[in-house]
Amino acid sequence: MGQVMKPQQRQLLYAGLTVMLVVIWIFYSANGPQTTAVLAGTVRAATLLALGAMCGMIGERSGVVNIGIEGQFLLSAFAAFTIASMTGSLFMGTVAGIGMGLMMGWLLAAMAVGLKVDQIIAGTVLNIAALGLTSFFYDRSRSLGMGKYTNIDLGPLADIPLVGTVFFSRPPLTYLTMALLVVVHVALFRSVWGMRTRAIGEHPGAADTVGIDVLRLRYLNVTLAGGLAGLGGAYLALEAVGTFSRAMSGGRGFLALAVMIFGRRTPFGAYAAALFFGFTTALQNQFQLNNTFDIPPQFVGMLPFVVTIVVVALSGLVGSMRDPAALGQNYEKG
Amino acid sequence: MHPSNESSDSSSEAFKTALGSGPVIVSGGDEASTMKDVNMAPMWRRLLALLMVFGLVAAACGSDGGGKISGGYSIGLVTDTGKVDDKSFNQSAWEGAQTGAANIPASATATYIETEESKDYANNIQLFVDDGAKIIVTVGFGLGEATIEAAQANPDVMFIGVDQWQNEALPNLAGLMFPEAKAGFMAGALAGMLTETNIVGAVLGTDLVPPVVFFKEGWENGARYTNPDVETISTYHPGGLDVAFGDPEWGATTARQALDQGADIIFGAGGATGNGALIEVAGEAGALCVGVDSDQWFTVPEAHPCLVTSAMKLIDVGVAELIAQAHAGTMEGGNYFGEVGLAPHHDFDGIVTSEMRDTLAAVMAGLDDGSINPMP
Amino acid sequence: MSRSILRTVAIPLVAVVLGLLIGAVLILSQNASPSTAYTALLVGGLGDADAVLRTLQKATPLIFGGLAVAFAFKAGMFNIGGQGQLLIGAVFAAGVGFGIDGLPMVIHLPLALLAGAIGGAIWGGLAGTLKATTGAHEVIVTIMLNFVAGNLTDWLSANPWKDNSGNNIVARTPLVEDSATIPTLGAVPVGFLLAVAAAATCWLVLERTTYGFEVRSVGHNRNAARYSGIKVGWIMGSTMAVAGMLAALGGAVESLGVDGRFEAGVNVGLGFEGITIALLARANPLGVIPAALLVGLMEAGASRMQFKAGVAPELIDVIQALILFFVAAPIIIRWLLRMREDTSEQLQLGAGWGKS
Repeated sequence: MGQVMKPQQRQLLYAGLTVMLVVIWIFYSANGPQTTAVLAGTVRAATLLALGAMCGMIGERSGVVNIGIEGQFLLSAFAAFTIASMTGSLFMGTVAGIGMGLMMGWLLAAMAVGLKVDQIIAGTVLNIAALGLTSFFYDRSRSLGMGKYTNIDLGPLADIPLVGTVFFSRPPLTYLTMALLVVVHVALFRSVWGMRTRAIGEHPGAADTVGIDVLRLRYLNVTLAGGLAGLGGAYLALEAVGTFSRAMSGGRGFLALAVMIFGRRTPFGAYAAALFFGFTTALQNQFQLNNTFDIPPQFVGMLPFVVTIVVVALSGLVGSMRDPAALGQNYEKG
Repeated sequence: MHPSNESSDSSSEAFKTALGSGPVIVSGGDEASTMKDVNMAPMWRRLLALLMVFGLVAAACGSDGGGKISGGYSIGLVTDTGKVDDKSFNQSAWEGAQTGAANIPASATATYIETEESKDYANNIQLFVDDGAKIIVTVGFGLGEATIEAAQANPDVMFIGVDQWQNEALPNLAGLMFPEAKAGFMAGALAGMLTETNIVGAVLGTDLVPPVVFFKEGWENGARYTNPDVETISTYHPGGLDVAFGDPEWGATTARQALDQGADIIFGAGGATGNGALIEVAGEAGALCVGVDSDQWFTVPEAHPCLVTSAMKLIDVGVAELIAQAHAGTMEGGNYFGEVGLAPHHDFDGIVTSEMRDTLAAVMAGLDDGSINPMP
Repeated sequence: MSRSILRTVAIPLVAVVLGLLIGAVLILSQNASPSTAYTALLVGGLGDADAVLRTLQKATPLIFGGLAVAFAFKAGMFNIGGQGQLLIGAVFAAGVGFGIDGLPMVIHLPLALLAGAIGGAIWGGLAGTLKATTGAHEVIVTIMLNFVAGNLTDWLSANPWKDNSGNNIVARTPLVEDSATIPTLGAVPVGFLLAVAAAATCWLVLERTTYGFEVRSVGHNRNAARYSGIKVGWIMGSTMAVAGMLAALGGAVESLGVDGRFEAGVNVGLGFEGITIALLARANPLGVIPAALLVGLMEAGASRMQFKAGVAPELIDVIQALILFFVAAPIIIRWLLRMREDTSEQLQLGAGWGKS
């Protein structure tokens, strides 16, 4: 199970963290604004990936693969933007985004759990349909007159150098995401619901015999998880960007899948993976901004992806990443 | 496919059928034999009924429309892979085509096809040729070759190629070109004078598209021209051509990264990606942003709080003008240079001082007479 | 017999009809005419020899892409990397196609195809090998490799392999030599025939060879396969290499037979569509052909549909999603047709996901 670490792994983790902090401190003393900018960009790029990864992991922990996160992001972003521009309220838009996410989660559950459609197919249906529908119904005359969500400083915390800007001067949905990481972690690993969820992902048959309604719980979980992706869509349209444009999710739903697996299907693991990915992205931007290397942007742009492959391969050697045993299999009550 | 009965003998007929089944269902042998004709009849009937409903719906709805009315003076526009409402060059060209059609005394109609895949360029142009279009506008350098071929094959049809450089002039094809570096230089010159931190940023599409590179080089040189102390920080989208112009999230995050390290004016040039940057700057008190291609005051209202100007290519004006010429029979083949310039300052009219305006006028004059080179 | 044929075609047929029906509602919502739109779609895809040629051209990379996903499915792996593999195949085939001259066609053309295939085999094999040796999840690795391939091929076509003829400013390679160009026989591109041959070969390999049996065994149960003496690591690596090769051949055919060169950005999304095709075909190599033809037809006719009826071409995406849904959820159509339950039709590709 992902949340259990071997002692060597734990030591490796602490050693890595220490090195990281030292490196950050060195860079911060050398160039404060740039270091702050890169780390702030890191946290920012991680938010959407973390939400998508949490959506994916709740599904997978219950035994349902969700490759439709990309579509959930996109259609929820569309709904959030449309409603926000119609009502003039970012809050209503956010609610609409979450609602659309829940609906798409429900649709995925209806297909994958109810109709026993193959789970990969069900996710793909969401992806293609979202891309087609949002392009088809896109209305360019809409805009967000009131602007997007703005940063909220958390009192004196926001004044701490570096850390203040990076973590405590953020827009509301980012804070909400950070809170949700904790909530989902506690729920998955400390609650009865979490125990049951993991049980139906590992041994649905056994869970059934002890009286857990496998199908009902999967239905519920996949639907609720859709709400997280819906929040991701709202974040994308109303907080990260402030408008909607076609295919604006840009493959981040798939990246979120990678982040989820990399983070061993745990909220904190996924967030660490998302931060790592966000960091490499921000870093390659900084290389370009500073003209650090005189090499084409195409190569600098490969950095996040190549580094991820290397790290995934290395961490695979350190400890294997095991999928939930019943993942992808539709459950037939015996 | 995952037959659930892995244990079954692979030589058995049932197993083979299951593995080799066609795209859908091949019922197991037993089941087919036990199936009764009684079951088939309703299935047939329902299948037929469904098809009939479909036919009825299609027919019923068909009575109201009948496609485009051919004949009359028609103008066709083929977009690059993008939409006519892209808030960028396709939209600008489409607006020009509509203006051009409206200006033709006899009633002229303008229609468009949005290219989904660049492999369809030639086919999409041909659809207009077959329909008898008199003037065909193709948008973007990607359509360059397809446009030349169509122009050679159809000497009676006039073609206008936006952003398409003509090496050899064809009598019925005008390439509408814009000196983007000049527009970028003007915008940069203004930014150099307006910046208080002496850092100006640019968030750009991709270096694979030459106009983007010209805008960037012009912008940086212009800023340095009016402000030798300025630091220019620019970044291209790190991804491929497929996402470089459609990633507002990256545009916004990157604009923020530039703001966080002191930039106070950001140039967003790259479709939706650049628009993302503009909107991000709009949320930062005191920071300014510069749009691209058209006056983005009208295409990205979210950027009103920061939009000090836009580095414009007047594609709509150029297209409308060439359509008028083509209709009048005065259009000459070869390259036609459209206008570039700065958009109005709108809400920020007050911060652009008269000295700045004088400097800009001098820069414009210098660019026009060649004494200033925007891309040395 | 005729009954089972009827049953075989009934579900996809009804799925298409239902997809088009719901599509018609969307068309009506845009104040356009469904019959005009669908007539244009059909004429645009089948109306004359040119239209048929376009449909077949569009179906070709879809067949290869569908096979690339289906083949990996058989070994229990999910190849999301078709796009990257296709790009690599396209650029290397073009590289050999324009970079060498003076060879006769019988050598040059196969060589160019081979270059693309090898590139794709490496790109796909890398993911399979990493999975087999380090346990790196192929879904992560193939997603990342898609991005890397996009950047790499963009750079190649904009720098070392750029077409510098005239005042070309586009990121693209020079035209491939005639000796490396895939010909067209009337309305039938030879590339399409290659794709059909590839599908038949895949079917034969999977169903009639020991290797195919081993692939399927690994797909069913990796541990059982290992205990029965199958080299699971080799099967995973080689399956992904074959999958990569198939997707890459699709790209190679695009460069050598359709575009005449490699150009940055022109193959956008082609590789991803392979997933849809494989799923429509329920991972059956032969089923990939009709699935690709259907989607190819719709894509070939989409421009004409917009031209004649003013319907945005994205409509076909929605219709595709609907068809996929109805094919994958046969219970709905069975209910409509009052067909009997048939257990052999329930398919679980997703099960392949959770086997690391």
